[in-house]
Amino acid sequence: MNSFRTIAVTCVAAGTLAFQILLVRVFAIEHFHHFAYMAIGIAMLGFGVSGTALALIRPRDRGTTERWFWWASVAVPLALILSPALVHQVPFDATQLVWDYRQWLRLGLVYILLALPFGIGGLAVLLAVTLEADRPGRIYGASFFGSGLGAGLALAVLWFLPPVEALAVPAAIAALGTLAAACDRKKRSSALRVAGLVLLGSAIVVVRPPWQFSLTPYKALPQVEAYPEARRVAERISPLGWVVAVQAPAFRYAPGLSLRFRGELPQQTGLFVDGELASAVTDWSEAESAFAVLDWLPSAAPYVLGGRDGVLVIGGGGGTEVANAQVHGASRITAVELHPALPELADRFGALPRNHGQAEVRWVIGDARHFVAGSRDSFDLITLGPGAAFGAATAGVHALGEDFLHTREAYAAYLSRLRDGGVLSVTGWLALPPRQNVRVILTMADALRQVNGRVEDGLVVVRSWGTVTVMGKPSGYSAEEIRALRTWSAARNFDVDYPVAEVPADPFNTLDAPVFVEAAVAAVAGRDEASRFGETYPFDVAPVTDVRPYPHHYLRLRSLGAFFKSDRGTWLPFAEWGMVALLATLVQSVVLAGLLLILPVAVRSRTSGESGLFPIVAYFSAIGFAYLAAEIAAIQQLGLLLGHPVYAVVMVLAAFLICSGAGSAWSDRYRHAEPATVAGILVLVLAVFAAILPTVVHLLQPAPLPIRAVAAFVLLGPVAFVMGMPFPIGIRAVAGSDSTRTAWAWASNGFASVTAAPVAALLALELGAVALLVASGLAYGVAALSAQLPRAVRR
Amino acid sequence: MVVHKQLVDCPAYLGLLLACGKPHISRIMPVLTHGSPVLLCIAVLGGMGPLAAQDAEESRYREQRLAMVDLIASRGVKDSATLAAMRAVPRHEYVPTDSRRLAYGDHPLPIGHGQTISQPYIVAFMTEILQPFPGMKVLEVGTGSGYQASVLAQIGADVYTIEIFEVLATSARERLTRLGFDQIQTRHADGHFGWLEAAPFDAVIVTAAAGFIPPALVEQLKPGGRMVIPVGSVHGIQNLILVLKDESGDLRTRNLLPVRFVPMLSDLR
Repeated sequence: MNSFRTIAVTCVAAGTLAFQILLVRVFAIEHFHHFAYMAIGIAMLGFGVSGTALALIRPRDRGTTERWFWWASVAVPLALILSPALVHQVPFDATQLVWDYRQWLRLGLVYILLALPFGIGGLAVLLAVTLEADRPGRIYGASFFGSGLGAGLALAVLWFLPPVEALAVPAAIAALGTLAAACDRKKRSSALRVAGLVLLGSAIVVVRPPWQFSLTPYKALPQVEAYPEARRVAERISPLGWVVAVQAPAFRYAPGLSLRFRGELPQQTGLFVDGELASAVTDWSEAESAFAVLDWLPSAAPYVLGGRDGVLVIGGGGGTEVANAQVHGASRITAVELHPALPELADRFGALPRNHGQAEVRWVIGDARHFVAGSRDSFDLITLGPGAAFGAATAGVHALGEDFLHTREAYAAYLSRLRDGGVLSVTGWLALPPRQNVRVILTMADALRQVNGRVEDGLVVVRSWGTVTVMGKPSGYSAEEIRALRTWSAARNFDVDYPVAEVPADPFNTLDAPVFVEAAVAAVAGRDEASRFGETYPFDVAPVTDVRPYPHHYLRLRSLGAFFKSDRGTWLPFAEWGMVALLATLVQSVVLAGLLLILPVAVRSRTSGESGLFPIVAYFSAIGFAYLAAEIAAIQQLGLLLGHPVYAVVMVLAAFLICSGAGSAWSDRYRHAEPATVAGILVLVLAVFAAILPTVVHLLQPAPLPIRAVAAFVLLGPVAFVMGMPFPIGIRAVAGSDSTRTAWAWASNGFASVTAAPVAALLALELGAVALLVASGLAYGVAALSAQLPRAVRR
Repeated sequence: MVVHKQLVDCPAYLGLLLACGKPHISRIMPVLTHGSPVLLCIAVLGGMGPLAAQDAEESRYREQRLAMVDLIASRGVKDSATLAAMRAVPRHEYVPTDSRRLAYGDHPLPIGHGQTISQPYIVAFMTEILQPFPGMKVLEVGTGSGYQASVLAQIGADVYTIEIFEVLATSARERLTRLGFDQIQTRHADGHFGWLEAAPFDAVIVTAAAGFIPPALVEQLKPGGRMVIPVGSVHGIQNLILVLKDESGDLRTRNLLPVRFVPMLSDLR
């Protein structure tokens, strides 16, 4: 066993995976999230293509293989430098894809350039496997371990460097692999000179990257920075996001401000996360009259309903809702904010209103679900404002993103933290066609029932020209409270949609149909009536749960065709961008993976007259899908456990890859292990995992983050360990046979890996995490059965 | 002047410069303007080929423009004044040269600086919703390329348009003058405050996304006036809203349709 080669593989894998994670961040910032995932999906093809190519064109002898491995290890860091440098030269404009064919050519070029380092990295690993064909587990283990290390390194680097500069680091990591590979060469001194040059070049690139940050001009940050007299006043970097604070006289932020408001808005500082507007900080102390604006915002509605002494603001952001609570007499305010930079900048550039009592304000940095689960405090009001994330969600941009703040369990948890007479208030933008606010109404009613609250008189819906505020009160509203709310709303041109007025009046703000009235009436009438309403509504607006936490996903796949044919088919892009992008990713993955992976092998297979390949195809496809499906399900649920998707992604990748690496290396000890046995064991393991995961996540939720992180690793580790075995055991089983069978093994696994990501995302979206884990277990079952078939993957 | 521009662009003129052996504009221009009729004839005849090509191009643009308006009409815009104005205003003059071939597609196009010229259907829809008439006094917030202002001016409205980005304000002003829309009043300023000196307005049209409706714009709207504005989340989707101010000054709104904006400033630009 060659240790230098193992180290080289570890470094190459670490570099390429760190590059993948950083690239997703950079693409998400410079362009939009959809294109990051689409591009990476294609880039991953690089791995598969290199595997298939190598299986078809094998090196002549061991000497040639060693030479190829050396040059591949030299090429990886160079590709990691060239790829981002060249990609940044391509004038790609994602917004013009629909009508400008040139953008497709540019996108294709971006794909090819992105695939380059992954392809060469994959080649290096596979050549190393070829050199250790009788003990592939250790090399695979090194590859897995390196990838896990790369995930952790990417996270660490993002604490210190902006993502675009951080993109230079993976090349340096891979260059260490070149150095290790050089130590293994016969002509060591000349190889070391080459490796030294590569390492030096990579180090220079880290200090001075040969590419420049290129933010799309259509994001909010460049737009506001182009305003007259705009200036950037602060910048913060972390894995949670790139935060920029900008001041400009023309920048103003007052979501849903009443049409009847007359007055000046105070000076504000815009806070941007990844180039998008996240919040605004206001210096309320600057002008004593400025805070008057707060009472003209829709989010002030709950304060009409009586004293709100203790207030919990979820998504505190720039502090607008904190100021709102103080102006309305709250003396004890707790604001929970996920991103640490936002409260820090709010404190630096803003100030609470003076002469409105001394409120005790406590900022909690972290996830609101964790806070609510662990806190012993209770509140008179819990409020979720029309924050930027909620706004972005209306575009369907986050349709695919988990959001545990708006699930049935979340609303029930908030309601259970209310004091007697307390109110839960959720304000969101009114997006056409109406979907999000309808779901909030149905979820609120459902959660009220769950905590044995009064649904029939505990629900209120207030609508402005552009927002909807839904308020739930478990103890029920009095007639006097409703009267006060109607008076306050009328003075601001807001409509009270529910309770329905005894004497109907012309609404201040007209919609095509009174959907919020209908939704509230159905929600209050009972669960069956609410379900019937949801079933007949054009979009999926039923409440979502923690195991299927996609409150911003509204499109029903089964009604897609009918929707396109309807008069409002043209509204689709407005409604479900995320879903459209996911389907597009699936189509491009199937087509390209089919063309690049399956077709060449199929042609080769036909000419060689090989038959009986079905078991190999089935086995390697099944384990490829199963691995990705389990990974995606774990990422989803760990988002709730760890409180942030970035932590979840890194933890799952690190735990899965490191533990799978160990499992892969361990599998070398059992050289005669049957693929069917290991796959069969995984069916049971995943069944147990699916059964316990949601419960364990909820039980651990109140614990401190380090304990939750350790628990997550302990939970995932054993599963990932066993999941690392089927591939090397299967490859070992087919290694002795002819190259066509090996090629089919690579092609099938590559195809499944590339296409599994969008398929698994669709399953998670439609059926949830538990169903996805069950699907993963079933896939291992298919693998076990395939391995039992005649001429199957067995010795 | 127009002839000069065409000559400068045409190969025949370049040939003339070379033929004279002294490719120096200050020497040649007097010849073209005051000098030999023979040379002038040569130049004009030589330029006929490109002129004919240009006519053909204009004719093609016109056909595309008519087809675009037919499409807009088929999607429900009925106001004859709006449709006639859109048949008349050459949209290809409002987009960058390399995007002209796409000028009559029913979609927005970039005009630089992160701004776009709006989808023609949305321009027509917003124009129609204002119920424009000759002499109507309209405030536009967000000049962009100047296309929307031109459509309104083509109908006969007195248009006051404000642009916050100086580069766009300057280029739009030049373009509007060049295309003969010099009656449109332009200003480089923050549209949040409206145009107090020219207020009140019969209509206000806002083509930049905002999280709220600026109070000054509401105040500068005449009783009985109409305002159309895309509002809501400034991130991706806004609602196009019609604000109606009745004779007593009371306000009502109507949500019209979703529109997609690039953050802060819109596709409608």
